[in-house]
Amino acid sequence: MNRFRRAVMWAALLLIILLTALSIYGAFIGPERAERFFNSIALGVYWLVLAVLLAVGIIVFRRLIRMPGLLLIHLGCIIVLAGGIWGSKAGYGLREKLFGISKIREGQMVIHEGTRENQVMIGSARETAELPFQVGLKDFRMEYYKPGQLLVQSRQGKRWSIPAEIGNEYPLDEQHGTVKILRSFENFKIKKEDGKNVYYDDPQPGSNPALEVQINPPDGDAKTRYVFELFPGHAHAEDKLSLRYQRVISDYVSELQVIKDDKVVAEKDIEVNHPLYYGGYHFYQHSYDDKAGRYTVLMVVSDTGLNLVYAGYLMLCIGVLWHLWLRHLLKAIKPKDTGAADSGGAAVPGPSIEPDPPIVNDTVSLAPGGI
Amino acid sequence: MEIKYTIQGLLIYISIAVYLFAFLLTLLGRKKAGHLLHALGSGVAALAFGYRWHHVRHVPLQNLFEVFLCLGMISYPISRFCRRILRVGGEYGDMLIAAIVLFPAGFVFKADPQRLPPALQSWLFTPHVAVYMLSYIFMAKATFQAVAQLAGKTPSPGEDIVSPEQGTYRVVCAGFPLLTLGLVLGSWWGKLAWGDYWGWDPKELWSLASWLVYLGYFHFRYMFGRRYARANSIWAIAGTAAIVITLLWVNLSRLFPGLHSYAT
Repeated sequence: MNRFRRAVMWAALLLIILLTALSIYGAFIGPERAERFFNSIALGVYWLVLAVLLAVGIIVFRRLIRMPGLLLIHLGCIIVLAGGIWGSKAGYGLREKLFGISKIREGQMVIHEGTRENQVMIGSARETAELPFQVGLKDFRMEYYKPGQLLVQSRQGKRWSIPAEIGNEYPLDEQHGTVKILRSFENFKIKKEDGKNVYYDDPQPGSNPALEVQINPPDGDAKTRYVFELFPGHAHAEDKLSLRYQRVISDYVSELQVIKDDKVVAEKDIEVNHPLYYGGYHFYQHSYDDKAGRYTVLMVVSDTGLNLVYAGYLMLCIGVLWHLWLRHLLKAIKPKDTGAADSGGAAVPGPSIEPDPPIVNDTVSLAPGGI
Repeated sequence: MEIKYTIQGLLIYISIAVYLFAFLLTLLGRKKAGHLLHALGSGVAALAFGYRWHHVRHVPLQNLFEVFLCLGMISYPISRFCRRILRVGGEYGDMLIAAIVLFPAGFVFKADPQRLPPALQSWLFTPHVAVYMLSYIFMAKATFQAVAQLAGKTPSPGEDIVSPEQGTYRVVCAGFPLLTLGLVLGSWWGKLAWGDYWGWDPKELWSLASWLVYLGYFHFRYMFGRRYARANSIWAIAGTAAIVITLLWVNLSRLFPGLHSYAT
């Protein structure tokens, strides 16, 4: 290996070690600071140098051209870097300056049920930008795993977790008797009728999930209690058992419409893992109105550079799989007279910085008798 | 320390005991019996995994208890693959790895069943975690090979296996594509769930660091071959150290708040 190629290899190794150290440093400073750090000017220089070095490597090492797996790995890395730079804040700024292209990179939208919106809040919400179309929210809802759980705890610290199924009676122990769930409410309310409290499920908008529970102690003095999901501390002082009602959210769903020129051009019920894609933007379920469930918060993300990153990922994966697995597998299933057998566990002499380096003699063969 | 007085716990403890017995028998030269017990331990661990699957009603790879249970199950098939296909020995190490990874599942992590939060309800959940688990066992085996190389071990005469240095390389070659797939699938999933293919989350950065250590290993070994065999081994061990931090420390330490906190 000549001096230049040796220098390229050393530079590659140093850049790998440096990026490892920087990644570890980034893990200690938290995601927000890490994002700023890895998008700083100094790191921008690092990414450019890395991309250039990868390209130089492909040019100067014939082995990288001859071996399709290695070529795909290195090209894939370059393309991922290019996609990342193209979609970064600096990339957006550069495109705006050079080509006058202005596109929202990332922001949030708050949309109330039954309304439409095209304002996107950017950064700390002091800035806003407009989408070239409107997004409407037909409905927002949260879905829960069924049944919920009634958590019972005695004063001695003994605990029971009971499925909140109406009509079922669950034995606790000899001291505490049984617990029966009588009713469940989505929006618990109380009203007075003839001087008596009447408990009912209010169909009006709002949320106050609760259970009506009957505690049947062994002495037969049954009591009815109301257990609220949103008010877990609510309990009678004389009770021997403390009760909690717990439900686990299974999904958040926003029923969205995209409206352009007063026409609905796209429609989708978005959930976590299932964003809406329209007009070069992805719309993600980000947050919601946790009091009444009347509005949703969407994250809006531009797709600039994304296809490049995905293409790079694909090349990287195919390259790694081909180079380390598949070519050996193909070699192993070829008839032996075509040269399937290789050099076995032969020792590789000296430094392997050669045009055809020793790594060739030392790769994994999937054939039982290979290498 | 939490002892599990359940069928789940019992299966885990049986599996650990069988793996340790297999390890002892192999060290005492009873390789065939050790091999049979290794397979039996893996079978019991698979039963524990299946039982958990039935219990929680989703692929049990959600939290540290479940992933360690999975790790304990897959050690044996990987050990056989390495012996038969890659001609890499060190099965006693695989038995020990299996017992070690089942220990936290049996004695440390809580086994309370959990429902899948919305972010984990994706078809990418199983392949992303599964390829990482497979790669971790490969890399743990590579580390045992690297330690054997540092200790100056060589294959016994007549044994049809490669040297520990070569064994390390071959096993890293088998595990690295899985590590790469895990990273890429995680990034793709992050884009679908959180809106960004890279969130600079501590877990992401540590997994990148692990991947980079093995990348460094390949480049170093390409440059110097086996001239610095000890340095090659140290690279491989460093990679596994980074994996252990990625898998455990990032989730358990408050130093690293991030998006992967549901995995604890």
